[in-house]
Amino acid sequence: MSANAALAAVIVVGIFTYASRVGLILTLADRPLSASAQRALGFVAPAVLTALVVTFTAGGEGLSGFAWIEVVAIVVGAAGAKLSGRLPVGLVVGMVALWSLTYLFG
Amino acid sequence: MAIPAVPFGMVLGLAMTESAMPIGVSWASNPLIFAGAAQLVLITLAGTTTWLAMVTTAVVLNLRHVMYSAAVSSRFADQPLWFRVVGPVVLIDQIFALVIAWPDLKGAEFRRAYAATAALFLVVWYSSVAAGVLAGDSIPDSWQIESAPMIMFLSIVVLGLHNRPSIAAAVAGGATALLTLDLPNNFGILVSAIAGVAVGVLFDLRQTDRPQAARDADEVAT
Repeated sequence: MSANAALAAVIVVGIFTYASRVGLILTLADRPLSASAQRALGFVAPAVLTALVVTFTAGGEGLSGFAWIEVVAIVVGAAGAKLSGRLPVGLVVGMVALWSLTYLFG
Repeated sequence: MAIPAVPFGMVLGLAMTESAMPIGVSWASNPLIFAGAAQLVLITLAGTTTWLAMVTTAVVLNLRHVMYSAAVSSRFADQPLWFRVVGPVVLIDQIFALVIAWPDLKGAEFRRAYAATAALFLVVWYSSVAAGVLAGDSIPDSWQIESAPMIMFLSIVVLGLHNRPSIAAAVAGGATALLTLDLPNNFGILVSAIAGVAVGVLFDLRQTDRPQAARDADEVAT
């Protein structure tokens, strides 16, 4: 990827990110979003991140691109995060699971 | 709350060393975007899809900041204009959570607390990302560090699931992604995001409709 295209991408995302953070603070300090609109925005992260996990775990090779070891490790890591309530625990648990399964079955 | 950002920052730094995006530009995402998940998405997608798809995906992911802006807008109502313009630059998940936890801070006291917290996160974040970048080349391929971002993403998802609509949104997003894996340039990610949000909204509407329907039924019955 060219440096100019990459920089343009970063700048555009930066502008939209700042606009999303400052927009309602500057314009609607006394008129917040409706409760339903706020709830709808809350669904964006789980939908997008789950889609990313599925897509990148497949590695661009369709359904045949899934490696069961990696899939199990990702799920185990997420379970570790949920049970502990801590993101770093999920990462450690997931990576340990990945290394262990690779050592045993890889 | 800054400590959990350390491994995330290191994962981002490592991703920078393996991305098709020039590392100088990847580093520039720290001051220009300052949103870990969106930075990681942008850097990971670079070179794998179209420019428009990677930018749109990162922008869509950061739409939740509109919710943060709405939720804290009243806290900035008594702040000078310069702070209302500058402060939101660092309105990340953790700072949003802390602002909500400071209901009694106002005026200059709020500004000092906000600025001090932001400064701490900036130092921790930049240091963590730098550590990840520096460690990147020395980490063997056998460590499979490239799987770390996916573990982080799914962990973020499950930590944020608190009700049926959000679970439905995540499941719909993942299921749609499975069905659209063969779309070119990872366009399926955007399709899946839209599908997931739509399902979440439908589940949410269904939940809010149920009490009203029950009340209507009660009125008919009486």
